[in-house]
Amino acid sequence: MNRVIRAELLRLLRRRTAYIAVAAAALFAVIASLAVFSSARSSGVASRRGGTTIAALSGTGGGTEAFATGASFTGFLVFVTFIALIASEFSGGTFRSLVMREPSRLKVIVGKLAGILLVVGGVVALAEACTFVMSLVLAPTKDVPTADWWSFASLGQGVRDYVTVMGGVTGWAVFGTTLAVIFRSAPVALGVGFAWAGPFENIVVDSWRTGYRVFPGQVLASLIQGGTAELGIGRAVLTATVYAAVAAVVTLLLVSRRDVTS
Amino acid sequence: MTPAALSVSGLTKRYGDRTVVDRLDIDLPSGVVAGFVGPNGAGKTTTMAMLLGLVRPTAGSGSVLGVSMDDPGSYLPRVGALIESPAFYPSLSGAENLRVFATVGRHDVERIPLLLDVVGLGERGDDRYRSYSLGMKQRLGIAAALLGDPELLILDEPANGLDPQGVREMRELISSLASTGRTVLVSSHDLSELEQVCDWLILIDTGRSLYQGPTRELLDGVVSELVVAAEPDDGDRLHDVLARSGHRVVARDDRVVIDVDGADVTELAAAVNRAAFDAGIVLVELSPQRITLEDRYLTMVGSTGGSRTGGDQ
Repeated sequence: MNRVIRAELLRLLRRRTAYIAVAAAALFAVIASLAVFSSARSSGVASRRGGTTIAALSGTGGGTEAFATGASFTGFLVFVTFIALIASEFSGGTFRSLVMREPSRLKVIVGKLAGILLVVGGVVALAEACTFVMSLVLAPTKDVPTADWWSFASLGQGVRDYVTVMGGVTGWAVFGTTLAVIFRSAPVALGVGFAWAGPFENIVVDSWRTGYRVFPGQVLASLIQGGTAELGIGRAVLTATVYAAVAAVVTLLLVSRRDVTS
Repeated sequence: MTPAALSVSGLTKRYGDRTVVDRLDIDLPSGVVAGFVGPNGAGKTTTMAMLLGLVRPTAGSGSVLGVSMDDPGSYLPRVGALIESPAFYPSLSGAENLRVFATVGRHDVERIPLLLDVVGLGERGDDRYRSYSLGMKQRLGIAAALLGDPELLILDEPANGLDPQGVREMRELISSLASTGRTVLVSSHDLSELEQVCDWLILIDTGRSLYQGPTRELLDGVVSELVVAAEPDDGDRLHDVLARSGHRVVARDDRVVIDVDGADVTELAAAVNRAAFDAGIVLVELSPQRITLEDRYLTMVGSTGGSRTGGDQ
């Protein structure tokens, strides 16, 4: 599997990809930081869905607050990215070329997932760093003290935010891979993924609040946000793990049993 | 006896009610260039995909390079293949694509420049794959198949989409690959090309084997036409005389061509000679024409009803 991961990194880690990653991380940092700092209230209760406060930004997690809040939008992007990358391996025939060189199909699919996740993990780390820097720039505009941002506790919070976001991102990656493997066509898988995680889930939860605790997309969104009023972080982790495990089993069964015909 | 490069018995693949490969037996000796011939839908690609572990057989067994087909992981490192169409990452260059696949297959990446030269892409290896012509993509596919310096090469329609020059170059490439002692199994619709390059043939139709063996055994001694020529002034008269004698004749250039149609060539030649002599015509040529692979193939497929059902499976 290491060979597949190395090959995937070889494929993805190129100058063009690096430019795109840096640009995306910088853009994310600017948008997320501006949105969080401009909407920060001077009083009230902070929440990543309802907006933060100056007091929360001044605390130990203030430096990565914009990252953690903005990251809730990245899950869907990762979902789409994985669908596109994995499904095109099937429709383009490169999966066939790969399994002729690494006959263990499970190693190929898991290796690809891991390789792309490593790159995504790097981009997410870069985005967190950029957001921290951007927050430092914006802090004076809202009179936010940044002294606590340089503490070990702040570093720990930053790591926790990163791990939480990557947990949600991994879940989206697994779901994206599952859809890609089921449909083996990027347009079809993207269509289904968009329809489900976009309109369907969000329309249904408007009238059926339990959907926040049940639908995979909502569960992962809660996970990335570090828990929400509807679904705590512990329950979100547990539910997302169960869903991801089911999706992984479906994916591995399909990959190992189906003929490679394209 | 040369050990078999591949040997399958009763190989069958069914998709629902449709049988794509039907109890196929193949024994391919090592070191030959074998042409895998059959109409569209005959089951060539599916057979190759089963040999490569991509498609699971419904029934049957076999071995590739002496290893059971049940364990493709053990023999695939010794097999190179280009199946269906070349499949690479469009945004990577030819060389980068080869590096990716070499990494996965644990092949020597130092060979990549050499392989690009072998397939005539030495100067274009750094260009993006998406900018390649169809012929260049096919060549890169061959280079990828050669990455592991395989003992057995399986090439599915390698000349597909190539212009005549490209077809010739592909034929020369396959010949040069074969000269290194490896076994090559190549499917193609261009039978004249196969006839020139293959010393072994496997003919299938509707998933069943029609013939397998040396090319010469299939074609040698089988005469399809008798070419007859008289003095220039007697050409038309010869045509009329032979046509009246009940032979199926056509005029071709200054000659008369008789369709042998399974008749005994010696008796037919004697009859033609006699008819011409009786009409006072002096023959200047009476030569049997060896059947081409295309004619032989069409005869054999025609006798089984053929299976032109569209795309190959």
